[in-house]
Amino acid sequence: MSVPAVLLDGVSASYEGHPALEDVGFQVPQGRFAALIGPNGAGKSTCLRLLLGLVRPTAGRVEVFGHPPLTGDSDGVGYVPQKVTIPRGLPITAQDIVLMGRTAARGPGRLPSRRDRELAHTSLDQVGLADLAARRFQDLSGGQQQRVLIARALCAQPRLLLMDEPTAGLDSAARARFYALVCDLQHARGLTLLCATHDLDVVGEHADSIILLDRTVRAQGTPAEVMSGGRLEQAYHFPAHHVHQDHAAHGTDPTATSGTS
Amino acid sequence: MTEFLSYAFVQRALVTGLLLGVMCAVLSFFVVLRRMAFVGVGLSHAALGGVALGLLLGAPPLVAAALFTVGVAWVVGWLRGRTEVSEDTAIGVFFPTAMALGVVLISLSPAYRQDLVAYLFGNILSVSPDEVLPLAVLCVVGLALVGFYFKELLFLGVDEEAARAAGLPAVRLRFLLLTLLAVTIVAAVRLVGIILVSAFLVIPAATGQALARSLRGMLVVAVISSLVSVVAGLWLSWTWNLPSGAAIVLVSAVLFFGALARARRVA
Repeated sequence: MSVPAVLLDGVSASYEGHPALEDVGFQVPQGRFAALIGPNGAGKSTCLRLLLGLVRPTAGRVEVFGHPPLTGDSDGVGYVPQKVTIPRGLPITAQDIVLMGRTAARGPGRLPSRRDRELAHTSLDQVGLADLAARRFQDLSGGQQQRVLIARALCAQPRLLLMDEPTAGLDSAARARFYALVCDLQHARGLTLLCATHDLDVVGEHADSIILLDRTVRAQGTPAEVMSGGRLEQAYHFPAHHVHQDHAAHGTDPTATSGTS
Repeated sequence: MTEFLSYAFVQRALVTGLLLGVMCAVLSFFVVLRRMAFVGVGLSHAALGGVALGLLLGAPPLVAAALFTVGVAWVVGWLRGRTEVSEDTAIGVFFPTAMALGVVLISLSPAYRQDLVAYLFGNILSVSPDEVLPLAVLCVVGLALVGFYFKELLFLGVDEEAARAAGLPAVRLRFLLLTLLAVTIVAAVRLVGIILVSAFLVIPAATGQALARSLRGMLVVAVISSLVSVVAGLWLSWTWNLPSGAAIVLVSAVLFFGALARARRVA
């Protein structure tokens, strides 16, 4: 049996002494799509930051493809943030952004090669934006910008894609298109996906498994298993139909008061 | 113009001015990208403390200023990474403090006030032959470092978290940029002076941003506008007996407003 793409075992983490995660354990097998859900402050982003090596656990074991983050197959991890804020008027194109995905592989002192440019073009093509490669990033719509950020992550040729609320601010149609696209990429490239999200309805359709987090793992399993039995209401402190309806109407977490956890 | 170029001190001023102009233009690209204009203002103010310390101790003022300013920049960078003090707050506290220290030290040594005017407002025409080579080496090494790490600094400027996640040494790169900024600011004090140097670290890139449609174009326009500012500013200074630093910055500002007007017409 192959090692899991993602493994957290008894993991705790804190910021400035304030606990963010307590004894969290889950794993994602290679080639699967897992969603991390939970209210704001649940520790979803912290899980991703642990896997990216940006935060160190205070206890427990974090592994990516069997190695600690940023030590083994760190090239195999792609990251899609919630959004990127470019200074107004900066003439940075979609292709410039995507080529950044080749920076670590290329190393300092070397300009992007023809192969890097081909990979950038292929990645943009895969997200349906090859025609907009020369368009300024800030002139693209929110959904297109998110697809550029996916293309940047794909350009690094990852085996694991970590996404932190990638559809925040998108309308429901754009969210549906986004998840259809990442599922296509998952199957085409054999990618493992781990997505922190509030999109309960959409990930319920697409994800292979869901981890319900509220500083610790409240439930994990298939979408049907996690979204039944009152687990969502318990974690979100809100009636389930409100969680779904509000989310479907606004694309946001009804309990949300601020940004990502 | 031929007479202007025939004097050795003008030639020295042009060589050092053009080199510093390129260096400032390239760094201004990252200052605008990372919204670090306030850092430029703060570091230039901190340089005054270093200059005053050098004058008081009898050390070469620019060397003392470089060491002092780099030290202050590192403390600010360290505070940003290790404490909850934001970079803005750290700059707002440390740099005026360094400047205040400079003012106090200067007040203790009234004999040095005349020298100080040259540092506050710059006078590239007074660059001595001994200063040309160190300034040239500094610019060449600085440009080589920026060129070597250009992709990495660009990625870091656009999306620091993604750059760190990709395994780039974000902390080392941030300190490299702060160090280059500090050293360049101190070197450019000879060109435009402590008070105006921060403008030269923003205006060239802002001009490039207004005119260019690509990052490469923005960088090229920034460098060209910077070079034009130096040459035209020095010539105006020579012709009309104006302070060279102020003339250079004014030409730079005219180019920026011209670029802005053209950009608005095109839009």
